[in-house]
Amino acid sequence: MSAKTRLRIVGGALHDPANGVDGEERDVCIEDGRVVASLPDGAPTLDARGMVVMPGGVDIHAHFASSSCNHARRLIPEEHAADPASPPRLLDGESRSGSGGTVPSTFTTGYRYAGLGYTTAFDAAVAPLLARHSHAELDDTPCVDAGIFALMGNDEYLLRQIERGERERARDYAAWLLGAAGAYAVKIVNPGGIEAWKAGQRNVTGLDDEVSGRKVTPRAILEALTDAANQLGLPHPVHIHCNNLGVVGNAATTLASMETLAGRRAHFTHLQFHCYGGEPGKGWASAAAKVIEYVNAHPEVSVDVGQVMFGPAMTITADAPVEYLLHQSSGRRWTNIDIELESGCGIVPLTYKEKTAVSALQWVVGLELFLLSQDPWRVVLSTDHPNGGSFLSYPALIQLLMDRAVRDDRLKQVNQRFLAGSALADGLAREYTLNEIAIVTRAGPARLLGLQAKGQLGVGADADVTIYSRDPDIARMFSTPRYVVKGGTLIVEEGQLRRAPAGRRLRLAPGYDDAVVRDLRKHFEAYSSVSFDNYPVRDLRDAPLVIGRTA
Amino acid sequence: MLQSVTCLGCGCGCDDLTVRVRDGRIAELSPPCPVARQWFGDGSVPREIRTDGQSTTVEQAVEAAAALLSGAEHPVVIIAPDLTTRAQCIAIAVADALRAEVDGTTSDSAAAGMLVAQRRGRAAASLGEIKNRADMVLFWAVDPRERYPRYLERYAAAESATHVRSRRFVSVSVGDDRGPEPAELAAQFAPGEEVDALAIIQATLRGRRPGELPPRLQPAVAIAERLLQGKYIAVVHDAEALGAGRDPQRVEGLLALTQLLNGPTRAALSSLRAGGNRSGAEAALTWQTGYPMRVSFREGHPHYHAGRAGLERLGSDGADALLVAGSVAPLDHPALALGRIPAVVIGPRASAMAGARVAIDTGVAGIHEAGTGYRMDEVPLPLTSLLEHPRGAAATLGLLLSVLRRRAEAKPG
Repeated sequence: MSAKTRLRIVGGALHDPANGVDGEERDVCIEDGRVVASLPDGAPTLDARGMVVMPGGVDIHAHFASSSCNHARRLIPEEHAADPASPPRLLDGESRSGSGGTVPSTFTTGYRYAGLGYTTAFDAAVAPLLARHSHAELDDTPCVDAGIFALMGNDEYLLRQIERGERERARDYAAWLLGAAGAYAVKIVNPGGIEAWKAGQRNVTGLDDEVSGRKVTPRAILEALTDAANQLGLPHPVHIHCNNLGVVGNAATTLASMETLAGRRAHFTHLQFHCYGGEPGKGWASAAAKVIEYVNAHPEVSVDVGQVMFGPAMTITADAPVEYLLHQSSGRRWTNIDIELESGCGIVPLTYKEKTAVSALQWVVGLELFLLSQDPWRVVLSTDHPNGGSFLSYPALIQLLMDRAVRDDRLKQVNQRFLAGSALADGLAREYTLNEIAIVTRAGPARLLGLQAKGQLGVGADADVTIYSRDPDIARMFSTPRYVVKGGTLIVEEGQLRRAPAGRRLRLAPGYDDAVVRDLRKHFEAYSSVSFDNYPVRDLRDAPLVIGRTA
Repeated sequence: MLQSVTCLGCGCGCDDLTVRVRDGRIAELSPPCPVARQWFGDGSVPREIRTDGQSTTVEQAVEAAAALLSGAEHPVVIIAPDLTTRAQCIAIAVADALRAEVDGTTSDSAAAGMLVAQRRGRAAASLGEIKNRADMVLFWAVDPRERYPRYLERYAAAESATHVRSRRFVSVSVGDDRGPEPAELAAQFAPGEEVDALAIIQATLRGRRPGELPPRLQPAVAIAERLLQGKYIAVVHDAEALGAGRDPQRVEGLLALTQLLNGPTRAALSSLRAGGNRSGAEAALTWQTGYPMRVSFREGHPHYHAGRAGLERLGSDGADALLVAGSVAPLDHPALALGRIPAVVIGPRASAMAGARVAIDTGVAGIHEAGTGYRMDEVPLPLTSLLEHPRGAAATLGLLLSVLRRRAEAKPG
C-alpha cells in the first residue's frame, strides 16, 4: 500500500472507547489519512479477523527529543553499545541505523514507538531557549506526530510578573512563549524550586516558601500558570510536576497543590513520584490511596501515573535539585545544566531493583494509582519515559494491569520493607479490560491533550490504527502489533516496520496583547544571551494548530 | 543593513552583529570584533565545481562523488564546523548509507573533556546563566580575550545581570597559559603541578586540610577558600587547549572541582570552544547515533571508537575514500594526505583544496546558508543568509545522498 490511499480494515474486534465501541466486530475505513464512513467496493482490504483493533497509542508524557535527552545520551555509551539498532528494512524512504538503551537515538526512537503501536508522543519538558534543538530532533524522529511542552514554572520574566501581581501580563507571556517555542502546552516543574536551586537556596519545600528571597511562592506560580492556560483555552491544561518529587511524605504537598487549584482544570504528571507517605528518618509508605481518592472525587483533575518498572532507567528532569540529591545518595554519574532565565536540567542514570525497598514501594504506588482509579479517562498510562522506565516497558505494564496472577506473583518477589498497609499488598483484585487499556493508552491521553482527531476512530479521525494479534501473553501481544497504520499509511506489516513517514508537528500559537512584546524586548536586551529577534523558532514544517480545533 | 546576525567566528555565538552588505560583499561589521572580521571577511568564496581538476556540472560531480564513495571498502566522512546543523545531519546520513566512519574535525582537541564528562557527568550552564549569576569567576589557564574576544563583555563580566551586582575574579596561570589580569586573586602553577593544585583545592573544599605544602602549591588553599565566598562560581577553561606541557588530566580535575563546588555553593564549568558549528556536529551525531564523535557505521549500525584518535588514525586505518563535508581546514592535517586517499570535498572553498578528486564549492553557514548553528554552550541559534551563493551545502549533500540511495537500490541483490 502506498501512502494515503484507501484501506478497509475488515472484521477486527474494535476497541474505540471514545465512540462507545467495546470489542465489537467493526470495519474501519480509511481514505487520505482519515477515517471515513465507507469505501467503494474493491477498495484494498486488510484482514483483521480475530485481531484486536485500537486507535494508535498516544504518549502524553515522555522525554525523547530535547537537549536534556541529548546530554543523557552522551552519558550512556555502554547502553548504546549493548543495544545497536540496524536500519529497518523499509519498502521505501530513508532507513537509518541508531542505538537504543534507555535514551535511544532519534530515528530509533521513532521506529520503536511505531513498533509498539504508538503514533503520537509529547516531549514533556523543553526549555524554550532550547526548543530549536527539540524541533531538530523531532525532524529526525519519524513515525510519530509529536510536540513539546514549554517549561515555565521557574521563568525569570514570569516570576517578575507574578511578583508584581501582573497576572494578565503573565498570561500574555505564556501565550507568546508557546508560540515562540513552537510548543503545545504549559509545563511547570517544581514551581520555584529550580530557581531556588540556581540561586543557592537549594530548593523550596512548601507551597508558601518564598522563592530566592522574592515575594513569589510555588502556590502563586501554580495559580498564575493554571489560570493562564485555562484563560487561553489551551487544549491541554497546565501540566504540573509538583514540588518535592521523590521525597518521603511528599503526598501532603501533592494534595495541597491539588487543593490550591480545586475547581480549575489541571493535569498532574507522573503522580507516582508524588504519592509517598511516611516521615524523614522513620521510613516510607504508600500514600497512593489518599491521593487517588482526591483525584477520583475531582473531575477537573487529570493525571498520568509515571509507573516505575524494574530495570535500567535514566532520570532526566528540569528538577535539578532532585538530581543533585540523587547523585549524592547513589554516587552515580551526574550532569547538571543551568539554563538561563528559564529552567534547569539534571540527569542521573539509575536502576530500579526489586530488592531495593524504595524501588519496590515506587512500583507498588504506581500500580495502586492505576488499580484504585475510578476513571481511566483521567488516570492515564506513562512511565515518565525514561525516568520510571523505557516506553518499551509499556507492554509489561499493561500485563501487570490486566493480569492479577502475574502481578501478585511479581509482588511476592519485591522488597516488602515499606509495603505494610499498602492497598496492593493487602490484595487488589482488579484487572483492566482491553477497553480500559484502550482508554489509558489512547483515548484518555488524546482527550486530556485536547487532540480531537486522535485516540479514536470515528469518522474524521486521524487514521492512526494499531492491530494486535490476540495472545494469552499480554505483554507479548502489546509489544508486537501485527499492523500499524499511521496517518493512513501502513507502516507496520506482519510485525515489521515497513515505512517510516515523517510525523506532524503539534504546536500552538495563541494570541496575546502586543504590549508584552515591547516589555520583553527590554528584558531580553538586559538579561538574555540571545537576541530577542533570534529567540523564536521559525520555519517549522507544520503550521500551528487552531485552538478549539486541534488536530 | 542586517541586524541580530549570528557570528560563528568563535564559540561565543554572538548574535547581535550588524552587517552592511554592499555590491554582494560584506562591507561593514559591528561591533568591531577581530574574530568576527576574520570569520566573515567580505563574504566572497569560490563557486566552482571540479572533477579531477576539470570544471563540470553539479550533477556530474555528484555522480562522480557517489561512484567514488560507494565503490570504497572503508570510506570516511569528516564533518567540518562551517556547515549548518542540518547539513551536518545529512553528512551523517551519508556516512550511515555508506557504512562509513564519521567524525567531526575537532574530536582530537575536545575529546578529553567529552570522555571525562561521559564517565562522570558534569556541572555546566548556558552562557546567559554565567552572565546573570556568576559572582565569582575562576579562569583556569586561559585569558578569554585572546581567542574569544567578547566572552567577558557578553558573559563572564557582563554589566547587566539579574542576580549579580559585582563580580570577583580568580586568575590561575599554568606555564605559558596565562589567566587574565587584573584579578582579585592570581596564582601561577607549573604545568607539572596543576593537577596537584586541583587536587589540593578539592581536598580543601572537602574540609581536609592538606599537610605541609611546598610554597608553590600553597595558593591552591587560598583559591579554595576564596571560591567558597562565591554564591555562583563559573570555572572557565579552554576545552580545546592542546599542546606541549598541557596536562590531559586538567579537564578531569576541573570537572571534578566544579561538581564538588555544588555541595557548599553553586558552580558551573564554562568550556570555551573555538569557531564554527562544532558543537552542532557533536549534538547531531549524538541524537542520530548516541555518540558525540568517532562513530563507525562499518557494522551497519553506530559503533563508538571512543579511545581512538580521530583524524590521526585515518592514514593508517585502511581508509580508501574520504568525504569532507565542510571547509578545507581538516585537509591540512598530514594524516589525510589527499593524494593518497581519494577525496570528495563538498563545502566552502572545496575547490581551493588541491588533491581532491571531486570538489564542490558551497556557501558558508551563517554567511550564505541559513539554518541553525550551536554556541559553545550548546544553545542553538538561527543563522542567516547574508549573501547569495549558487549552492548550499545541505542541498548538495542531500543530492549526494539521494544518488547514493539510488545506486544502492539499483545494485543487484
